[in-house]
Amino acid sequence: MNKEKDFDELVTLKKRDLSRGEKILSKIMLFFEDLFKVPLFKCHHCGECILSHTGFVCSQRCPKRLRNGPCGGTRANGHCEVYPERKCVWYMAFQRARRLRRTSLLHRIEKIHNWELEKTSAWLNVWTKQIEPPTFIIRSDDDHDIKKQD
Amino acid sequence: MTMTLKNKIESGQFVLTAELGPPRSSKGDSVRKKSRHFRDIADGINITDNQTAIVRLPSIAASKILVEEGLEPVVQITCRDRNRLALQSDLLGMSALGIHNVLCLTGDYQSFGNHPEAKGVFDLDSVQLIAAAKRMTQGYFLSGDQIKTPPHLFIGGAANPFAPPLEFRVLRLAKKIKAGAQFIQTQAVFDLERFAEWMKRVRDWGLHEKIAILAGVMPVKSVKALQYMEKEVPGMTISKDIISRMEKAEKPKEEGVKIAVETIQKLREIKGLQGIHLMPLMWESITPRIAEESGFLKEKKSSPRSEKSPEEKQHSREKGK
Repeated sequence: MNKEKDFDELVTLKKRDLSRGEKILSKIMLFFEDLFKVPLFKCHHCGECILSHTGFVCSQRCPKRLRNGPCGGTRANGHCEVYPERKCVWYMAFQRARRLRRTSLLHRIEKIHNWELEKTSAWLNVWTKQIEPPTFIIRSDDDHDIKKQD
Repeated sequence: MTMTLKNKIESGQFVLTAELGPPRSSKGDSVRKKSRHFRDIADGINITDNQTAIVRLPSIAASKILVEEGLEPVVQITCRDRNRLALQSDLLGMSALGIHNVLCLTGDYQSFGNHPEAKGVFDLDSVQLIAAAKRMTQGYFLSGDQIKTPPHLFIGGAANPFAPPLEFRVLRLAKKIKAGAQFIQTQAVFDLERFAEWMKRVRDWGLHEKIAILAGVMPVKSVKALQYMEKEVPGMTISKDIISRMEKAEKPKEEGVKIAVETIQKLREIKGLQGIHLMPLMWESITPRIAEESGFLKEKKSSPRSEKSPEEKQHSREKGK
């Protein structure tokens, strides 16, 4: 087994030092990203966006900030265990992913969050190759398992 | 050599694990006393990690006490209280103390406990913790640095078949298997129908062949306890049948035992299960009776006696000094 490759799957690549230009660009992009992502997705600026994998529901809205699916506390009505008045973020993510036929992306083991990227622009981080690019198009043969259950 | 939990599961035995809650003090004797109910009965003893976010004797410390008693603990480790440094260091520590079974959990949210004002860590989630533990057994820290002497770990995870959405619960199990989990202990079963449905999906995906699933069973003393759980423990479903049975019962404790035994018997008929995880919350003393009545002890007696006895004798002698 290629261990080096496994690491890449589990931990985000190290944050690299940005040039001065990139730093300025990061601030500008963060501004525009916020304009777009905060009202639409209640973005939490984790800098490591996985919106495209979670049916376009920001997983970081979860009080436990889980990145790999719901905890065992989702209430019978699909609400959060911590804030009973709110819907469970992962419950919403699952429903939306299913509607968009993107449940195959929920099978991914999402990387451990790199806190050095917190409050940076995810768009720039993709551009500077610090994080993986989002997945917009999914191959039809990717869609397995859950779809089979539908 | 005695069979460890890992050996037993790998050899296909139907195992019984039990849960022990450590005290809210530094009284180690309390762990020793409670563990006596599990001796020669449980194949592994889970020690909870600050369960329901209430400060208790640490899981690893209580587990060490069990090791000294000649029992086999399963350390529960949550992501609520530790960041990646502490998690990795604890995994090294438990292996160094001769404890190799670990159950990786996300952890109850801190607002449920007695320190609701605390900062919850949640640096990793349970899936990532399982993957991290697996990586460590392969000789690497999360940083990529090599571990000269990697820990030996038998890695477990939890599953809650009762919380919605059902499909995601199966998917999450698949994810934990992919991350490297070797056994799964489920939330307490009070709704057999739902559990059977979950298991059916698990079998459809062929997951039961990849991992040992231990179904949770919790004996309850009163209908109040059930109603409390239904109301206060999110993600738990309790069938109306069980509630009405407990309500009508003249001796609720007896009925509680009966229900637990029946649940175990019905669970054993479900294909794909490899054990029972007993959770006698604050009622450890009932374990031998439930094990006896559900037929676990008979199996133990019929199987050849392990070489545990000389060790035990030596141990009791040491204690005598």
